[in-house]
Amino acid sequence: MMEAFEQPAESPEAVRPLGRAIVITSGKGGVGKTTTTANVGTALAARGAKVVLVDADVGLRNLDIVLGLESRVKFHLLDVLEEKATLDEALIRDKRSESLYLLAAAQTREKEDVDTGLMKALVETLRARFDYVLIDCPAGIEMGFKNAVAGAQHAIIVCTPEVSAVRDADRVVGLLPNDWRPELIVNRLRPLLVKKGKMLSVDDVNGILRLPLLGVIADEPNVIVATNRGEPLALDALSETGAAYRAIAAKIAGEDVPAPEVRPASTGIFSKLGSLFGKRG
Amino acid sequence: MSGRRIVVTSGKGGVGKTTTTVNVGAALAKRGHRVVLVDTDIGLRNLDLVLGVEKRIVFDIVEVIEGRCQLRQALIKDKRFESLSMLPAAQTREKEAVTEEQMKAVIVELAETADFVLIDCPAGIEHGFRSAVAGASEAIVVTTPEVSAIRDADRVVGKLHALRMPMRVIVNRVRPDMVRSGEMMSVDDVCDILSAELLGIVPDDEEVIDTTNRGEPIVLDDSKRLATIYDKIARRLGGELVPFSNLDEPGFFGRLKTLWKVG
Repeated sequence: MMEAFEQPAESPEAVRPLGRAIVITSGKGGVGKTTTTANVGTALAARGAKVVLVDADVGLRNLDIVLGLESRVKFHLLDVLEEKATLDEALIRDKRSESLYLLAAAQTREKEDVDTGLMKALVETLRARFDYVLIDCPAGIEMGFKNAVAGAQHAIIVCTPEVSAVRDADRVVGLLPNDWRPELIVNRLRPLLVKKGKMLSVDDVNGILRLPLLGVIADEPNVIVATNRGEPLALDALSETGAAYRAIAAKIAGEDVPAPEVRPASTGIFSKLGSLFGKRG
Repeated sequence: MSGRRIVVTSGKGGVGKTTTTVNVGAALAKRGHRVVLVDTDIGLRNLDLVLGVEKRIVFDIVEVIEGRCQLRQALIKDKRFESLSMLPAAQTREKEAVTEEQMKAVIVELAETADFVLIDCPAGIEHGFRSAVAGASEAIVVTTPEVSAIRDADRVVGKLHALRMPMRVIVNRVRPDMVRSGEMMSVDDVCDILSAELLGIVPDDEEVIDTTNRGEPIVLDDSKRLATIYDKIARRLGGELVPFSNLDEPGFFGRLKTLWKVG
């Protein structure tokens, strides 16, 4: 089944060590998986790594929009899996970054059309050609989630400081392979609300999830603007959020980055969160 | 006469389906309608949290379907709104545990003794979506004014059209200042793209985060701006012609004037 993704024989990359395949997942939708994938991928590529972003949200693709590549999508993941296009035909090079590529999802197909075995083989092939394979997982824990996780060896959990997002993230961690050590990005934190006791703090969130903290991203309207324009903030040298994404990329690349600033714990909502998860065995 | 069966759906996750279900449902109950909320997000349930009844769950929808309990045993009555109750999803099961036909049977049975059954749909368009829609006779499509949310909503609108299901749109988390500065799509633009009738416009309000975490529907407090907005949505749903005005955000009104043609 690997023949489907055969590489050109002259490829000098054939002997490179396999890259890392990381799935970006959350359980709950709308917490920022796609934005995170685009920005972390962009930041990794800016460091010189070869990066491919795989949109695993068959039927509801969006990664192409966030990268501003939607009008360049000719072939997609399912075309490659079904041998209607070669990998090289389907990989779309980013507009800004030479070493960043996108493999788009099919828009008019169903997640059930993806064969888990083929998906695994494809990710394996991509690992031979790229330093990082970032897989943007669909919301939920149905077939699309299972296929997105299938080829990965590592997971980044994106969670917002909301009780429902924490509950869903906790469920997803439980569904990942036991020997994984997923890392956490707390997204859309509003420090002012945390201070007023109206939002969970990073400590509240991670007091439940207990995962290594990879980064904290503040909620800022610029993210919506950047997303609508298809320009990831990770490239914006002046943006604090961009800097936070670059720090995450450095950490993924193995640099010793200081732990993200952790705000004082809130007290207001914590009791509710505690009681919700206290029931577990 | 049996009640209306309305699925609240979106395609994209995190746009506010559950918050909308709870608040529209509570607003309808406040007006005296008998309302049942159904959480169909099996495996990732959250409606119980947003409604604040998570500690009172004894049975869930899968147990009802598998015949382990009576439907009325699984229903949780809200203590604040007399005519509001909810049917929780199972948390440790898979969506495939329920077929479309089984879901439809439960929803239809609930509608026999309710005026409105609001079905909270999971994100995506997989099996969970199809089951949630199977039980409905009409739909509310929730979207935010973001390109990715609208693209996903458009996919869902297409699927609902194919089923000939009547639908209306709620545009959620509108930030008037960003619309004015051209950084956010206007409600007009959203409705044009989706070519669907508008049911409501809900401004972005950070108070929702807090009330959601606390499990208190925002419509509990009449002084809240969003309480008025959800009440209007409830009235429109009931068939009243309520103009899209009185959004007491200064400046918001002007931008939305053109919307009247939709109302």
